[in-house]
Amino acid sequence: MKFQTAARNRWSGSQAIPVAALIVLAACGGSSTSGGGLGSGDLLVGVIAPFTGADAGLGPAYYAACLAAAPEINNNGGVGGRQVKCQQFDTRGEPADAVPAANQMIASSSNLMAAVGCTSDEAAAVAPIMDRAHLPMFCMTGQSEFNKTTLKYFHRLVPADVYDAFAMVGSALFGPNHAPYKKAALVFGDDIGSQAFVQPATNAFTKLGGTIAINQPIHLNASSYRTEVAAMLKANPDVILTEALGSAGTYLKEVKTQNGGKMIPFIGSSATIDPVWFQQVRDAIGIDDLLKYYAGVDLGYTFSGPAYAEFLTNLNAAATQFADAPKYKQRGSTLHLYDGIIMTALAMVATNSADRTVYNPKIIQIANGSSGATVVNTYKDGVAAIKAGKTIRFVGAGGENNFDQYNNSQSGYILVGYDKDGNEVQVGQLTPDQTAKLIAAGG
Amino acid sequence: MDLYVAAFGFGLVGMSVIAIAAVGFTMQFGITNMINLAYGEVMISSAYVAYYLNKAGITIWVGMIAGAVFGAVFSFLLNRVVYAPFLRRGTSHIGMVIVSLAVSLMVANLLLPIVGYYSVSYQDTTGGLIRAGGIVLTTNQIAIIGVAVVLMLLIHGLLRYTRLGKAMRATAANPTLARNCGIPTGRVIDAVWLITGALCGLAGVVAAMNSDSFAIANGAGFLITALAAAVLGGAGQPYGAMIGAVIIGMVTELSAAAWSPEYKEVVAFGILVLVMVLRPQGLLAKRGALAAAG
Repeated sequence: MKFQTAARNRWSGSQAIPVAALIVLAACGGSSTSGGGLGSGDLLVGVIAPFTGADAGLGPAYYAACLAAAPEINNNGGVGGRQVKCQQFDTRGEPADAVPAANQMIASSSNLMAAVGCTSDEAAAVAPIMDRAHLPMFCMTGQSEFNKTTLKYFHRLVPADVYDAFAMVGSALFGPNHAPYKKAALVFGDDIGSQAFVQPATNAFTKLGGTIAINQPIHLNASSYRTEVAAMLKANPDVILTEALGSAGTYLKEVKTQNGGKMIPFIGSSATIDPVWFQQVRDAIGIDDLLKYYAGVDLGYTFSGPAYAEFLTNLNAAATQFADAPKYKQRGSTLHLYDGIIMTALAMVATNSADRTVYNPKIIQIANGSSGATVVNTYKDGVAAIKAGKTIRFVGAGGENNFDQYNNSQSGYILVGYDKDGNEVQVGQLTPDQTAKLIAAGG
Repeated sequence: MDLYVAAFGFGLVGMSVIAIAAVGFTMQFGITNMINLAYGEVMISSAYVAYYLNKAGITIWVGMIAGAVFGAVFSFLLNRVVYAPFLRRGTSHIGMVIVSLAVSLMVANLLLPIVGYYSVSYQDTTGGLIRAGGIVLTTNQIAIIGVAVVLMLLIHGLLRYTRLGKAMRATAANPTLARNCGIPTGRVIDAVWLITGALCGLAGVVAAMNSDSFAIANGAGFLITALAAAVLGGAGQPYGAMIGAVIIGMVTELSAAAWSPEYKEVVAFGILVLVMVLRPQGLLAKRGALAAAG
């Protein structure tokens, strides 16, 4: 028995070395291909986002972006012939679940070309992991800690939350069709992402003459908000600034009920421009009150032009895989992440490399362009221009990108509402002077 | 002060909803000795049954009955098809908890592609607003309180005054002895799954009405609240579950009025932990009407 045990131990030890080496290699998350050339086999885009939990409404918007981008690339020759696939990695909106999801994505997929998603719920936890794995990522986080990030593989195509908060305050103070609101209730979810709005909104609103009637962090997915709403109504605000994804319907219906069937004007962040949010709130308070009392903020999209037309065609086609995909035709994050994936594919073609360390820097060059660059709006045109030896600038469905040295690309806000079908309608725009005042007040 | 009075009124609604769910859960455990972690998913499934009927133009009160029937049938089949075969093979108590957890996850994931991840609302479930001495409730919330009171009285009557109730208590106290005394414990167990399943289904619809807007993800929250009230009152004790529901329902709302609402569940569950530390057997210590079968 002793001999057998010892022999087994020696055998185990000898096997452990290559196994450990494999584990170390996987943990290091080396690039998919170390040499030049685009390689062969499918490429994978990891959609790492909440698909369950309180923020389950976010993941599908990003998945839809990938499902639209994949055929745009695949139907136009792929990435050097390689087909792009999409896979969901559910973070449940919690850092504790997001970290294993990110590790699993990296360890189990040697063909990752990029990751998209990583919301404020989990970005702080997963972005460093993906950066260590040299995986280009497009994150939908507004957290200020990424304003001057040193993560080389991190890309952000939307402004920081602080600007979203300023825009909401701008809507309250300078928005059309109403006198400036003076007493605001801040009703934000108690998740990391939503709470990021509170301080900048408070700073900007109070320094520009407003008063915060009540700051009410609400627990998302609670069974009811009756006492919270009673407390909020007692503070007598004339407007509610809010982002409480998943709980907006419950909260706002209670507002209407306790306020004798009358709504209070409410201003939502850019995340409230979302078909799921629209449906929830419409079902809860009715379409008439939603159209009358809701105002939102969003980045200035045109929803037109060749890039958007191509995006829309592919998004509608994605309905065969994900029936809700076409609903995201005006969701800013869907447009931006679609662009991010196309830019990554073009960067791979431009560098003729599937090595992530090689094509990552090219993504920003393709987004920002350079003097004399040919502007392209579709993947097909981009590949043709690259093959013709031209340098390109990709202007996609979400419009122009202008990355700074911290890999942040930002643009201005518009004031919006909904029409009865849930389409975004622009109702105004903040002037440069108003924007400057808000930023100065917000600090 | 007004806010506390209003919160007290809201607490009445909250505890009514919790009581229906918790009494069903604790009866199920007390008599069948089964901690059914799929309870929350049966609740949310029943809520969706009522939702689709309501969407088709049927009043939510009929939907509530349909939800109760669905919950009864679903729970009965769950026991017959899944739990009972495992129990016959001698699966341990902890093993059965894991089985019910697996069922919970399967039901949630099977429902997801059918109902979607987004929140939905019943139509016309608010009713008129009634104000009385600082308490502000809708007529439908008052109806929910009424439904809970009637159900609690019915459960009391069932357990105390009917042959079935006495057979349930006997089965809960000692199933072997009950069987030897001629009580058809198998049929009693079936009846328990049907009755507690109906309570579960009805609780799901009431909880969804109470929430104004609900989604598939709410199933886990429903379970935790029912479980907490049941454990607080003393596992397997229907009257204990009623007391647990009162405490959790009231504390949740009053603490939201007193402190930041993000901590309201922390406070409620903090009290649960405190009671468990001081009195691990729950508030109703005496092995009364329905002690867990041994």
